[in-house]
Amino acid sequence: MDKTLLLSFLLLMFPGLAPTDSQWVLEESTLTYHVSHPLHQTDGVTHAAKGKGVCHAGQCDFLIAVPVKSFDSGDSNRDLHMIQVVRGGQFPMIAVRTRLPEDASSSAILLADLEVQFAGQTVQYKQIAFQHVVKGADTLITGTIPLTLTDFKIDPPSLLALPVKNEIPVRVEMKWREM
Amino acid sequence: MQKVKKGIVAHCIFVLLFSALVPLRAQDAGSTISGAIVGVTGASVANAKVTVKNLVTGQSFEAQTDAAGRYNVTNLAPGEYEVGVSAEGYSTNTMKVTVAAGESKVADVTLAGALSLQDLGISSDQAQGTAADQARLNKRSHMLMLHQRIGLIAAVPLIATVATSFGAGGRSTSTTDRYLHLALGSAAGDLYFTSAYFAIRAPGIHGTHSRGPIRVHKALAWIHGPGMILTPILGAIAFDQKSKGEKVHGIASLHGPVAVVTALAYCAAIASVSFKF
Repeated sequence: MDKTLLLSFLLLMFPGLAPTDSQWVLEESTLTYHVSHPLHQTDGVTHAAKGKGVCHAGQCDFLIAVPVKSFDSGDSNRDLHMIQVVRGGQFPMIAVRTRLPEDASSSAILLADLEVQFAGQTVQYKQIAFQHVVKGADTLITGTIPLTLTDFKIDPPSLLALPVKNEIPVRVEMKWREM
Repeated sequence: MQKVKKGIVAHCIFVLLFSALVPLRAQDAGSTISGAIVGVTGASVANAKVTVKNLVTGQSFEAQTDAAGRYNVTNLAPGEYEVGVSAEGYSTNTMKVTVAAGESKVADVTLAGALSLQDLGISSDQAQGTAADQARLNKRSHMLMLHQRIGLIAAVPLIATVATSFGAGGRSTSTTDRYLHLALGSAAGDLYFTSAYFAIRAPGIHGTHSRGPIRVHKALAWIHGPGMILTPILGAIAFDQKSKGEKVHGIASLHGPVAVVTALAYCAAIASVSFKF
């Protein structure tokens, strides 16, 4: 029997022998939002993000999700106020989706189109740059997502009649591992 | 015979004219992008939203796939287009297509299954909030905002009460000063307890624990709260003693020190959360 035919037959009979889609899992992460006010600066940090990536036909789809309430700014009162302001009671999760070519990992800078679901809104951010470093079995991704309050129709909270800045950049540090 | 010849000539002229017009119409006709949308398994994706966007002009055309997963966008100007396809339960996919004038291009798109929050081990209960939860948060924020504003206003008569205590107590016999002190103290007390009401009645949020400056703010309430109850009681006794022409004595002599400690604790409580938003 022709070798190709034999291989095709084997793959049909035993699909497990076919090249499987690769998967990525988010092992560790630190997400930090930064809020600027004329009187002070605030950072809120979470390590509670979960993420997964599935690659198929040269394309990888990634999903990262994090509970709104997991961000800690060091003040529970401020954190609860933040959850209220960003409508976290009704929309408790932040989800980020992106699609990258499977060979994107060969470059040091990843340019990703992000779809961010937050506060009941879905916003696209185009060509966001992330640094990409491979350390052993881990892939480290760092970058900043330039979120703004107006993008998500969030009224800026204010202190002493002075509102916070519209920009709330989110610093992203993630460690991914291919399964 | 002559009639037949004329008919043939007329027919030939008609055919020539028609055949000359057809290519002209074909050149004028718009370009077309069509195709089939399938999942990775090869199954047709019905009701997928297809957006065909001209990358030069930005003009977009939308279509929806039929039951067989097919779409067709006609009357397009020649140029480069981005075909974007989205469907529920699938990842959005795009591809670029260039069409010449009058050309029909086939752009078949395969959609991968979208990752869901359930794939991350997040249950639908965790992913979905409720309007009631948000309403509770809104009520909490609103009540704490009132607590904050009224509390700040209360600080004014409170400080003024302490300031006027020098004319109201000690060796002073001025009844005017005592009444001013009493009026300011009463105003401070009323505002204080109104502010406290909003803090106490603000709904708590299950599963949250106090962290940071708010803990100091709450701890100080255990000093200025009892102080705000005790101070007017001691003040009433002292007022009565002074009104009888007596020197303030006994437990009433603690009115001043208790009031000062209360006022200091209150100001410290305000300061502890002054830099939050």
